[in-house]
Amino acid sequence: MDTPTLLTHFRTHDTPLVLSRGGDLAWDDAELHRAAQVSDPEGYALLALVPGVLPWQRARVLLTTLATSQNGLDDRTRATLAKVTRALMFGLPPGYTVTALLALRRLRANHKHTTRAIVAFVLEHPDAAALIEARRPALVDCFEHALGKATARGCARSIREGDTGSDRLRRSLLRFTSDPAVAIERVRALYAPGTYGAVAPQEAPAPLDPVREHPPVVTPTNRGDIAATLVHLFMGGPAAELRPALAGYVAEATRGLPRMAGGVALVLDTSGSMRGYGEREWALMSQATALRLVLAELCDRLTVIESGDAGAAPAGSTGVGGAAPGGATDLASGLLDALDGGPDLVVIVTDGYENVLPGDLARVVATLPRAGVTTPVVLCQATFTRGDDLTLRDPAPGLPRQPFWHQDDFAGLLPWMFGHCGPGRDWIRTTMTSRLEGART
Amino acid sequence: MTTLDTLLPAPLDLDGYRVGTPQRAGALTMVPIHGPERPGIVPPRSGLKLKRVVGYGQVELHNGAREGVAIVPLHLGYIQDAAQNHALCSAALLAAGQTRRFDDACCVQSGQGGYLEGRDQWFFVLPLELRARALRLRGRHDYAKLWPDITQLNRAYGLPSRGHLEQILSRKRATLTQFQSRLELVPGQLGALFFVGGTFAGLELAPDAGYFAEMWMALVCFAYGVAAWHAEPERAAARPYDAGSLAELRAELARDRAARLAEVASWLPAPGGDVRMVEEERYLDLRLSTVTGDGLTGQVVAEHGRPVYASVFADR
Repeated sequence: MDTPTLLTHFRTHDTPLVLSRGGDLAWDDAELHRAAQVSDPEGYALLALVPGVLPWQRARVLLTTLATSQNGLDDRTRATLAKVTRALMFGLPPGYTVTALLALRRLRANHKHTTRAIVAFVLEHPDAAALIEARRPALVDCFEHALGKATARGCARSIREGDTGSDRLRRSLLRFTSDPAVAIERVRALYAPGTYGAVAPQEAPAPLDPVREHPPVVTPTNRGDIAATLVHLFMGGPAAELRPALAGYVAEATRGLPRMAGGVALVLDTSGSMRGYGEREWALMSQATALRLVLAELCDRLTVIESGDAGAAPAGSTGVGGAAPGGATDLASGLLDALDGGPDLVVIVTDGYENVLPGDLARVVATLPRAGVTTPVVLCQATFTRGDDLTLRDPAPGLPRQPFWHQDDFAGLLPWMFGHCGPGRDWIRTTMTSRLEGART
Repeated sequence: MTTLDTLLPAPLDLDGYRVGTPQRAGALTMVPIHGPERPGIVPPRSGLKLKRVVGYGQVELHNGAREGVAIVPLHLGYIQDAAQNHALCSAALLAAGQTRRFDDACCVQSGQGGYLEGRDQWFFVLPLELRARALRLRGRHDYAKLWPDITQLNRAYGLPSRGHLEQILSRKRATLTQFQSRLELVPGQLGALFFVGGTFAGLELAPDAGYFAEMWMALVCFAYGVAAWHAEPERAAARPYDAGSLAELRAELARDRAARLAEVASWLPAPGGDVRMVEEERYLDLRLSTVTGDGLTGQVVAEHGRPVYASVFADR
């Protein structure tokens, strides 16, 4: 499974899963999903939990996971897949999940784990009452596909006649549910007369992505607690007060995250443009330093190569975890220095303004394959807001690039960068498994 | 590139100035200059103030510092909303506490009424394309004297043919101001050589690093950034070096950079030629002179033969 490619696809390919009125299923990336699922069913499913993965991609992973047989998988893997399935079903807006479940009917997928999942969604969804009111025909189709039409209708008939726990009902339906009493009520509602005009719930009952901060006006100090504290430190604020708080914010941001076993070399742009000026002064440098501090907490081996004339710090620009920004940007030399140490991954953090000499980084990157270098190199681009104009700020178009402006971006940025190296892929697996266990949501 | 000795005419002594590693942003190449500082000169943003515009073409500046002479940078201009924007045609020396009226200033926004006030001190430096002409027009009291050249510049850049410099400075500001980040001020830098598209564009020297830092945006974004913006090259695909290992790659990069440094050095104007210096004004030992000839023009402030301030640019 090509994790970086797949993750990029998951985060950028935003076309719906379409089920026509005739029941035809249309999705242009079916083969990509199928191949990834076959090569690593668990890793593929866990990747869908990474923050920032698009809802329609999560729906595809749900569909693929439920449509594929689990023959040959061990019990631990099956258990993980069941948890991912549940997280996706209840982590997506219900409309997305219903489409995926209806697609299963079209694909005639009727594995046992498929049945369990559909029954759980229809009968155990926290908003099941409203959902049944609004989407009754679709949910009946799903339910009857899961149990078989005759069995489903037989169960409904038994329930209507007062059956609450006969052997037949238990064998056909109740063994798939955790709360038989609730299930019986839901089946009764499912086969009751409909209500015209009922509005379906739109929100996911258990969203997968952390809640983001959306400041209406972006300033250097409303881009996350770590960066805000750093801005005050850089501006000469009281270190005795700010540094302990900074340590606390970094600990909070990394709490529950596993260590990354590989060696990471961070090429950190500490040039003058990273400091910025005017109302944006320190904004980029503070967020880049925040990322550096988080990486220092997570990585077993982190090497930092500063690129910029950091020796001469402007007044009041006390560096944290390194020198203060100043001077010009030589990212190409920084990359070569980073590769000398033989890391598992090189992360370049820059605003994208390469001025010594522009084009050098792109040429060095283009030469790496013929120089026998296979170490993955990624570029994390510090921006002031999500809407920065990056037209003139792409120093190496050949590098995988991901912008970040807020501390909230780290949740998606870390898996993206780590996914490019072997130890990082293990980190993603451990992190997402941990999320499933509830250690971190 | 190690010396600037041949760039300014004798008897100016540029000994002690050193050039650094070139930086490039699109068509604009900037070579930082370090050298001896001359402390005590009042800088243009934190010391010098636009006091008011008395009438069209008449700009009053004030040196608000308690001590220290202010060097008014060459082709300093001010922009404000709802006012006729103005630029000066010459540099000047203002004593501490002195207010001076420049009657030969030029309006750079034809058809716009209103006078600049002392409320907003955002300044620019005239674009390279207008500087030689503006310098030749110093001393002439005609506030509309630069409008034809501004019109021509706008037309050449595909903008409406009007005497509105604001069409470039304000409307292209988002692009132009990126030069402030695309090129980076080096710590201790007090001057720079500018080249546009492989051709010498200008030499800028300041009395000290603080003064130059206050000029930085006006120089890279407006004085030289406008021409560079217009000449922005298309991005070419990256060509790999011929290297089979990391060590070879490092060597190839170093060799390529050395070649490009040598190329930048070759862009400097050839030494010699008929360059004249004419003194315009003096303050104690400071001498403000105008330099002309051999494809260069500009103004220099010197003290005992050593340059304190210089703005010398290509006269095309």
